[in-house]
Amino acid sequence: MMTKFKFILTILSAVVLTISCSDDFVYVDSQDVNSENYFNTEADYQAALIGAYDLLQSTYLNVMLGEIASDNTLAGGENATDVPGIQQVDDMIHTPNNQQLRDIWGWMFAGVNRANYIMEFQDKIDFPNKPSVLAQARFLRAYYYFELVKWFGPVPLAVDKRIQFGEQFTIDRTPVADVYQQIELDLIYAADNLPYTQAQEGRITKGAAQALLGKAYLYQDKFDEAAAVLTNLINNGPYNLLTDYSTMFENDNENNIESVFEVQYTDLEGAGFGCLQCSEGNVAVGFNGPRSFVGPYFESGYSFNVPTLETYEAFESGDNRRDIAILNIEALAASDPTVSYGEGNEHTGFFNRKYIPRQGDSNIGDQNLTNPNNYRSIRFADVLLMAAEALNRGTGSDTDALALLNRVRRRAFGDTDHDVTVSGAALTSVIWDERRLELVGEGHRFFDLVRTSQAASKIDGFVPGKHELFPIPQIEIELTGNRWEQNPMY
Amino acid sequence: MAGVFAVQAQSVTASGTVVDSESGMPVPGANIAVRGANQGAVTDFDGKFSISNVSTEATLVVTYIGYQTVTINGVSSEPMTISLTQDAAQLDEVVVVGYGTRSVKEVSGAVSVVSSETIEKLKPTRIEQALQGQVAGVQVTSSSGAPGAGLDIRIRGIGTNGDARPLVLVDGNVISELSVINPSDIESISVLKDASAGIYGVRAANGVIIITTKSGSKASPLKVQYDAYGGVQETTRSLPALNATDYASLTNEAYVSNGDMAYYSNVGSLGRGTDWQDAVFSQAFTSNQSIGVSGGSDNASYSGGLSAFTQDGIIGKDKSGFQRYNARFNYTVDLRLPDGTPTNFKFKMNMLYSKTNRKTLPEGGIGSVLFNALNMAPTYTLRDASGAFTRAENMPIEVINPLWQIDATQNKVVADRVSGVFGLNYKFWSDFSADVNYQWNYTEVRNRSFSGVNDFGSEGVADKVFDTDVAAYYVEDSFYRDYTFDAILSYEKTVNDAHNFKAMVGTSVFKATADQFAFVGTDFAEGTNLGNAHLNNAGMVNNNFQTRSNRIDDSRLLSYFGRLDYNYNQKYLFTATVRRDGSTNFGPSNKFGLFSTFSAGWVLSEEDFFNNLVNADLFKLRGSYGVLGNDRIGSFRYTSLLNGEGVYVFDNQLQFGVAQGGIANPTLKWEEQIAFNVGVDSKWFDNKLSLTVDYFKRKTENLLLQVVTSGINGPSAPGSGPPFANAGSVENKGLEVGMGYNTSFSDSLDFGLNLNFTTIDNTVTEVNNSLGYVSSGVGFGIGNLVGPSRMEVGMPIGYFYGFKTDGIFQNQAEVESHPSQLLLGSAGAPGDLRFVDVNQDGVLDEDDRTYIGDPLPDFTIGLNLTFNYKKLDFQSYFFASVGNDMVRNYERNTPLVNRTTYDLDRWHGANTSNTVPRVTTAATSNSVFSDYYVEDASFIRAQNMQLGYTFESGTFGFQDLRVYGAVNNAFTLTKYRGYDPTVTNGDPLSAGFDFGFYPNPRTYLLGLNLTF
Repeated sequence: MMTKFKFILTILSAVVLTISCSDDFVYVDSQDVNSENYFNTEADYQAALIGAYDLLQSTYLNVMLGEIASDNTLAGGENATDVPGIQQVDDMIHTPNNQQLRDIWGWMFAGVNRANYIMEFQDKIDFPNKPSVLAQARFLRAYYYFELVKWFGPVPLAVDKRIQFGEQFTIDRTPVADVYQQIELDLIYAADNLPYTQAQEGRITKGAAQALLGKAYLYQDKFDEAAAVLTNLINNGPYNLLTDYSTMFENDNENNIESVFEVQYTDLEGAGFGCLQCSEGNVAVGFNGPRSFVGPYFESGYSFNVPTLETYEAFESGDNRRDIAILNIEALAASDPTVSYGEGNEHTGFFNRKYIPRQGDSNIGDQNLTNPNNYRSIRFADVLLMAAEALNRGTGSDTDALALLNRVRRRAFGDTDHDVTVSGAALTSVIWDERRLELVGEGHRFFDLVRTSQAASKIDGFVPGKHELFPIPQIEIELTGNRWEQNPMY
Repeated sequence: MAGVFAVQAQSVTASGTVVDSESGMPVPGANIAVRGANQGAVTDFDGKFSISNVSTEATLVVTYIGYQTVTINGVSSEPMTISLTQDAAQLDEVVVVGYGTRSVKEVSGAVSVVSSETIEKLKPTRIEQALQGQVAGVQVTSSSGAPGAGLDIRIRGIGTNGDARPLVLVDGNVISELSVINPSDIESISVLKDASAGIYGVRAANGVIIITTKSGSKASPLKVQYDAYGGVQETTRSLPALNATDYASLTNEAYVSNGDMAYYSNVGSLGRGTDWQDAVFSQAFTSNQSIGVSGGSDNASYSGGLSAFTQDGIIGKDKSGFQRYNARFNYTVDLRLPDGTPTNFKFKMNMLYSKTNRKTLPEGGIGSVLFNALNMAPTYTLRDASGAFTRAENMPIEVINPLWQIDATQNKVVADRVSGVFGLNYKFWSDFSADVNYQWNYTEVRNRSFSGVNDFGSEGVADKVFDTDVAAYYVEDSFYRDYTFDAILSYEKTVNDAHNFKAMVGTSVFKATADQFAFVGTDFAEGTNLGNAHLNNAGMVNNNFQTRSNRIDDSRLLSYFGRLDYNYNQKYLFTATVRRDGSTNFGPSNKFGLFSTFSAGWVLSEEDFFNNLVNADLFKLRGSYGVLGNDRIGSFRYTSLLNGEGVYVFDNQLQFGVAQGGIANPTLKWEEQIAFNVGVDSKWFDNKLSLTVDYFKRKTENLLLQVVTSGINGPSAPGSGPPFANAGSVENKGLEVGMGYNTSFSDSLDFGLNLNFTTIDNTVTEVNNSLGYVSSGVGFGIGNLVGPSRMEVGMPIGYFYGFKTDGIFQNQAEVESHPSQLLLGSAGAPGDLRFVDVNQDGVLDEDDRTYIGDPLPDFTIGLNLTFNYKKLDFQSYFFASVGNDMVRNYERNTPLVNRTTYDLDRWHGANTSNTVPRVTTAATSNSVFSDYYVEDASFIRAQNMQLGYTFESGTFGFQDLRVYGAVNNAFTLTKYRGYDPTVTNGDPLSAGFDFGFYPNPRTYLLGLNLTF
């Protein structure tokens, strides 16, 4: 028989026991791993390394704009106001308020921070593969900083530490020479600690590091250093020119013998316009594609980055690179009645054939954003031409330069009748023009013109003293406390 | 001995029973006081009382809350039966104030109440609609009129750029998805608008809404109520799109103006073409049925209900349809020992279950169904000659045949929710009361969406954003659990009949967790659709949580609080509260916050001097001041988690690495608000007229801004984002006026009027992110600069930031004499908009952008009118908003899309127009964001009009029978050209951008209410 008292007591005790809570109740750790308590095993380093590789895929924009800014191509698109940022870069009327320039700035620094995240914890543990991991991280940091210094000039340099929230208010722009010095150190380390061949396709190799180092030297006019490392690469690396150039840019011939460094893409995951830098596919390929294309072999795209007639006619007759690099769509339609296409803005009749969509990919999600075409960032042909230029313009011999140059020409024409024989300044000029023909559509033209002081004469609207660099996005200057000076004349 | 001797008053024992006049059941807890003497008693559980030594000439005063007071002159020794009548007017005076109730007289804060009668008459499909236009200071907007779409409630303006939702409690339980509640289950809604919400501490800054569900009453017979209505919905508006002939001639004009050939060569033979909006809008059915029971025995009461609601969409009918099934049961019982002895324990249990099914169509954005219906050229037919849907071949990449889009969209969301409240109350030592409550929620949401192989544009060409080569099936299951445990101790004491004290201390513990599982399957066999898709049959399955934990939320709150009320004779009122809250959302250096509030009131109508001057039934002056907080800042933002996206490719396979997510900030803390309010509550003319006026000022500091940080910190990395920092503050101040008037003109005609009026002035006072402003992430148009709206110091939050226009260039000379507009996109030409060089620097560039409008209203008004004439009743509800602007963002600026008739007024030669620019396919600056796209969206809406007839009691055997007809959303008066001026994005920084919002429908209803 329960008395009233016992009843009350039972209930009250039950209540008191269940209620007590201490302040610790609100101290909870997320189940997701914290960035500061990571890097406890080799697997952690490898996973973070993949995170650092990720931003390579966002360089599609650098490639696309590097062509559009030059005399190779026009912006194109659907109409004259399709992506104003791209249209303005084409016409050299871009301002510090340009979304695409801001994207390049932001994505490259995102890459820098991801590489620096690994370097920040480089001493936490040791494991046999560590030098390889660090070498790849340093190559990536150098790659991203090379892009930044090409596009924007002096940029804030962060070495082995992420730029944390709060630090942006005290960090200054580092002079170009100092940024290049760090790039060189990183690439030398990478070359010393990586093999020429890696087990996985797409990994950074010794050849990639040497080639990028040579390129960095060349951009600083350090011709002898460039010649040295590039010649070393040519003699020791497993690379050669592809004999059948027509397969160079096809999806079934990725990572081939001519590919020294290739940015990997895939069609296995869909993407959207909300985060173009998240796409695992090559966004530039969809942007470059011919508009409303119906026909065999290719698929359609947004008709950006269209080569001009002048570019098409720059090729000599017999040069079999022309029809691999540039798609003459009018000729194609004339020869094949199943072909039809639309005309976009600034339609020239030509498309960047190296990087337009091919049939046969999965087309998940928005097909235009998930094309699997890898970007051949550094080809052996480029290495040969850079070495030739370095030998010619430095203290090296023009004979050696000619040998390298003619390898490229022979592959282009299929014979030895088009070999070059001049030397000195005339040879320099020929090499520069050859670079245009060999590398059209691959994003190098604008920077080649700028570093060889040809930009003002070749690019409409180019103002010397201003357009060699792109403007730092105005909002970035504001967000770091309005302390930086803008690049001249912007 | 003759002589006068005083009649000696005798002393007797006064005793008896107090009963309810209607049911005859005893009333326990009624108060019997002997007037003038310090004697009294309280009736026991059987309604009986006994007071000894009472003079026979004494007057007994019998009171009980909710009943009319009874006075008895003269007492005998005979036991008496005292009958108390329920006082309808007084019943309204009970107000829920958070962890307790008060009478209206005792409340010194700004609290508004919506009663169940009002809710019944409004017939809302969702609770939020019960507040729309009913309470001064409360603004309700929707971001879509689609069935099942949520509504946004804002109390006293927008107090934060983040989550400005008020805290909503249903019987003490935190409910965030308000569709769980069937509106006819609601007994009352209390809105705490000022510092009186402070008893809820760090969750109170946006105001608190306390909903009480019906609980039945003791000692009442079983009552069954059945309500049903059914009706038809249609769109309130169809925009005046051009017919095929006008469209073609304008399009030709656009091409020719750019030097190209005319596009259509057959303008004369095109006729009217297709009316795409007509094809997309249809009439849709809606119905609701609910049955409620209530009753009680002498120690228990119960109330329950079941309801079924269905609503098809006016776009796509059941493709955007919504169904909701609710069940509810409330039970309260006074616990007794097995032998019948009453304990002082009272137990209550409220259970809610709801199931919702919802299908949606793409809406509210570029590429939505309405967007396509507006932009699709009328020269296309609905279907082609073979009967298949027409392909949108020459339309831009996101415009496709909207009928086809509706047909191809396959998705559904099924949500099951269970909520429960268990409470135990114990009264002891006559003045103490202890409460323990356990409130919990469990929700399962299953989201499925299937996208087949789609080819909407040119056949075989992937030229549309929606074209897909491979079928994909998206599966997302989410599980949400939370509980709130609170324990409260209260104490009430009256000293000397005049000093009334109430004290309360309590503790509360809250925990919420959520888990989510999401997969995408691709590559299915032909013939797969939403009904038969299964991840096992996919060619490939991707797990979205491969590198992340499935636990997407784990947040907790630990609180201690106390409140002290004191009033002298219900004339001078004082209340103070204090609360300490700790939350998992805050950084380690700022885990706990202390919040306190104070309010006071003076009931002037109890003062003699006042009653001599003014003849008011109630006149109360009150004021409050306090500090409240907002903790809705997302979980774990103070630390940097590795939940970013780091994916690359080796050997042609996806490689999943690891990367930082959002950038960290360890000093993160709550937003803090200082709220000040001063007001007057008054009633006049025998309580026929009530008038409430409030002036409020609330300043929220430490606003959590996702401070746009420099790109060098890496926020644009995949899966990353800018950090949060407490860096802003915003101030809202304004005036609220509420007036109610109820009167009878004669025996058969009653009239009621309820008016509320609110003005709110919103100003951002601080933005400390080194820019001085925050740009919204929403873009205007396509590919344009972001940041068309801002949160900036000195301006209202979310104001529109763009160019000012000054007419149109009529000729080339005008173009030449004006600064060049080249930097805006292209130099001007005759027929283009002329932009104002605001900073007068001779150049037109981004620096010439300025304030061109804002989405916040200057004032809002709600008006209810009711008439009752004999058996007929009529009610109408209106609400209006004045001064809010919206941005017309549903026009796609490409050559071949359709336009609306205002484009017929375009400039096509000197002096033909100074308002609408020329149509052309050339590049112009006309599509940059300017006041050309900002429109005044002030409106008056007739929200509900209803006419009903109540039959004689007993007709057809029912106790009550009422039939009615109603129109919801009968008309809206507005100058706004878009579909619906009341629909706006709930995010403060992107409010007012109309991408083609799904409009609220107009509904014609017939219904009946039955009581058995």
